[in-house]
Amino acid sequence: MKTSFNSIDELGRREFIANAAKACLGVGLMPMAGAYIHNSIKALEPGARPASARHIIYLNMAGAMSHLDTFGPKPDAPAIQGPTKSIQTTADDIILSEHLPEVAKHAHNSAVIRSMVTSQGAHEQASYLMHTSYLKRGTIVHPSFGSWVAKLSGEINRTIPMNVKIGGGSHGAGFLESKYGPLPIGNPESGLANSTMAEHLDQNHFQSRIDLASKMNSTFTGRFPQKQVRAYTDLYRDAVKLMRSEDLNAFDIEQEPEAMHELYGTSNFGQGCLLARRLIENQVRYVEVTRGGWDTHDNNFERVAENCSEIDKALSGLLLDLEVRGLLKETIVVLTSEFGRTPNINPRDGRDHWPYYYTAFLAGGAIKGGTSFGDTDEIGRNLSKDKPVKPEDLNATLAYALGLPLNDVQYSPSGRPFTVAHNGDPVQEVLS
Amino acid sequence: MGKLKLTIFGLFFLFSSVSAVEPFRTFTTPEGQSVVGKAVGYKGTLFILMNQQGKMMQVGFDALSADDKAYLLNAVNEGRIPQGVPKRSEITSATSNSEPDSDMSVEMESDSMTVADQDETKILRPPPTKKPTFRNGSFFSHRPVALDEDPHEVVVDIGSSIPLPGEPIDFSRHVLPIFEERCNTCHSSPHEKNGKTINPKAGVVLDDHASIIKGNASGSIVEAGKPEDSIIYEVITLSEDDDLFMPPKGGPLDSEQIDIIKRWIIEGAKESADGGGVMVGTGTLPRDDEPVSFDRHIMPLFQDRCMECHAAPYVNNGRTIKPRAGLRLDTHESVMKGNLDGPIVESGNPEESTLYYVVTLGEDEAEIMPPKGKPLSDDQIVMIKRWILEGALARPAKFAADPNAPPKVKKGLIESGENFSVVGKNDSLLSMLSKRVTSVSNAGLKDAMKSGALVTPLAERHSLVRAEFSSAASLVKDDAIDSLTKIKNNISHLDLSKTKITDQGLNKIKGFGNLTWLSLRNTLAGDRGIEAISKLQHLKYLNLVGTAVTDRSVRTLSSMKGLEEIYLLNSKVTEKGVENLRNALPDTKVVLDTLILN
Repeated sequence: MKTSFNSIDELGRREFIANAAKACLGVGLMPMAGAYIHNSIKALEPGARPASARHIIYLNMAGAMSHLDTFGPKPDAPAIQGPTKSIQTTADDIILSEHLPEVAKHAHNSAVIRSMVTSQGAHEQASYLMHTSYLKRGTIVHPSFGSWVAKLSGEINRTIPMNVKIGGGSHGAGFLESKYGPLPIGNPESGLANSTMAEHLDQNHFQSRIDLASKMNSTFTGRFPQKQVRAYTDLYRDAVKLMRSEDLNAFDIEQEPEAMHELYGTSNFGQGCLLARRLIENQVRYVEVTRGGWDTHDNNFERVAENCSEIDKALSGLLLDLEVRGLLKETIVVLTSEFGRTPNINPRDGRDHWPYYYTAFLAGGAIKGGTSFGDTDEIGRNLSKDKPVKPEDLNATLAYALGLPLNDVQYSPSGRPFTVAHNGDPVQEVLS
Repeated sequence: MGKLKLTIFGLFFLFSSVSAVEPFRTFTTPEGQSVVGKAVGYKGTLFILMNQQGKMMQVGFDALSADDKAYLLNAVNEGRIPQGVPKRSEITSATSNSEPDSDMSVEMESDSMTVADQDETKILRPPPTKKPTFRNGSFFSHRPVALDEDPHEVVVDIGSSIPLPGEPIDFSRHVLPIFEERCNTCHSSPHEKNGKTINPKAGVVLDDHASIIKGNASGSIVEAGKPEDSIIYEVITLSEDDDLFMPPKGGPLDSEQIDIIKRWIIEGAKESADGGGVMVGTGTLPRDDEPVSFDRHIMPLFQDRCMECHAAPYVNNGRTIKPRAGLRLDTHESVMKGNLDGPIVESGNPEESTLYYVVTLGEDEAEIMPPKGKPLSDDQIVMIKRWILEGALARPAKFAADPNAPPKVKKGLIESGENFSVVGKNDSLLSMLSKRVTSVSNAGLKDAMKSGALVTPLAERHSLVRAEFSSAASLVKDDAIDSLTKIKNNISHLDLSKTKITDQGLNKIKGFGNLTWLSLRNTLAGDRGIEAISKLQHLKYLNLVGTAVTDRSVRTLSSMKGLEEIYLLNSKVTEKGVENLRNALPDTKVVLDTLILN
């Protein structure tokens, strides 16, 4: 598990295929001539209110980002602040650390919650709670927030998945149907791996092979007309269709001009954000980009500065790019981590785990720009303004903006009721 | 005299012709009462007499003495008295001392009289609301009480205008509502109903102070300071089985109401201190602390400004003229009912009320009401706002509302900052538009989906929808728009990005009148297409990223004052064009960032 937090290694081939099988089962594809009719029942099942956003880009800072050195600096408390300076932004209420000068230019479109509180102090459990709104238990796997979004909001573009996860992380569809789970992309540069036809094959040749395979299978599938058997047939069919889909281009960031790559920065995370933008353009509902390397128990200030140079470029580039394309209006960009880091600096010049009053950064059309919610006293240990925001409250806020029914109950196989944000309270103060 | 006076009061006066040469003579009753006049017509056993002042009265044959009966029989047989009810015009032309035209209120007629020759000017005043009458103690005669209302207060609220202890009686707040409730079905100013002019019974008009003081042909009905001499007080205090007891239907006034009228007469039967408010057109404006009355404040304004188009259907030259938009504003009931698109008034919430929205629009907006003439004055708009705030009731509320109070915020929404109002405005635009259309039909939905469109309501049971062609967008061509025409009024958001839509396709969406959000990102849309959609008045968001739109569209776009956001990245619009556009639309966000040119 540790690897997924500390690095964003590419997924192993075996792991990828296992994930892709799960995800592709749900990849509904447009039949060739466009005669597909959307399921009208689904179309008539939106949330109870008009949504103010339709897409989410969730930037997950795995390993717990030091909130004090990024989005929640305390310039008036030098004792806990360490060497990190603060800078003014385009919004009066928001101050950021000096490592985020470009993001500071987007503060008027953004809100910062500075009172995030979680009940978990270990990475895996806390990350699970952030993503699912529920505590990790041995008896059940809860759906991740992206899966909830996919389940409750439905797909817009039928030919590519609703939920994509770039750069690792392990939270899936849980007890929901596997088609709502995220399609994992290991390395944004290589896009959707293994999705093109082998070079030595031509279209006819390929089709005859597929036909031969289905002919050989027909006896078996005829004898066992079960869901599980059909699922395999579906997997083949959907995979073939995705292979031929025009929207497969969405996964190919090589089509972007050089200037675009530079805007986001050439880091893996930056390119992941670029891919996220391409996917949003193609109506993917939920894209999560994970960036590890934040577990700064030692040498905190140097490592945070290093990480921030990537984050600053990628996040500001993403916000600018979405804005000029008119996409930011309906997209929420979230940047947060599973918890924060201690106000006091340890002897190794690091900061340790701190589940209280860390930060979540939100931007987009549904967000009330320039808002700073919550604050702490000068030792950074007690809340001095507004109320604490739990992971379920943050997820409820996002779900509310997406117009999802917060009280829609989904039952696990054992019949237990679960809701999208575990009865969290939307933070209306940060919503426009 | 008293008895005759009462008799006459109860009778109906008629017009007559003087074509017959009939002298004045004294008619007497067996009881010895007498009246001087000449017979000018008859109808059945009713004779119409005219006195020397030209006033007419109707007298039953049986009520006269034997002498008179013989005389009248003789005269009829000799043909000196014409049969039928004489016409008013004949009287005015033949009588030297004819009545002035303005004296309408004291003219009287029988119920059965034809009205063809009555005053020809069209009277737009609607008939007084017919109040259903129920027998005493009937279940239906109870007033419904809302869940959060105190039933005791509601009971007191009937009449809505009980004077506080020690408070002097105010005519418009205390007395008039009683008349409106119990008397004006019969005693209101002449009005039209089913093509007939309905005149007040016995010529007594009780709908404003002047008419009440004036009384009818038999004299005044109110003696200031002397309730015992005032007919109006006398008839409401008679015993219930007396023929002259008023009101004849629905039981007597309750003792509090009788007391109010008595006190009003004792206190001098005065008009309200301010003369009932400031005259505006045919109506008045309420005082600041006076609750708005639908009948006295709102209705006259509607009559003045709205009923040319929004009156009850009527027949003109053989054609039925129906109210515009199917909306009638001629009674409280019809105002509250709204039209097919739903109610236009949301009581307590002017911001959500279409009625308030359309009168507060800017003068150059297409939807402003009234469409002709000047917009309503600020005072009138405040009056409508207050009326809605006070609950949009048929009768005045108990307390005046404060029109400047901050709008009620829906539970869960935080009110603060600029953003709130902006979003609030958009929300109310969407909710306003959604009220005008019925939910999307299944047939329309099916049609739309055949072309591959995804059609989703904005929210559950929302009548507006978003239509998009995201799946296999490159297969979508201009003809896909045709599939949307059945639901075109429901579409508020239309996403055509990446489709093969051209200017011809855009030409088809110019009739999508409720469109607020349009994305043409990466389509072939060009200047002609922009021209075609430039009349979409509710359009707020326009995405032209990657289109073929050039600087030639800048002028067209500049005319679209409602636009809040325009995105122009990768279009053919230049920096200079953007600058011109920004100058023309200072409040609009025009986005073109050449820093990241593709």
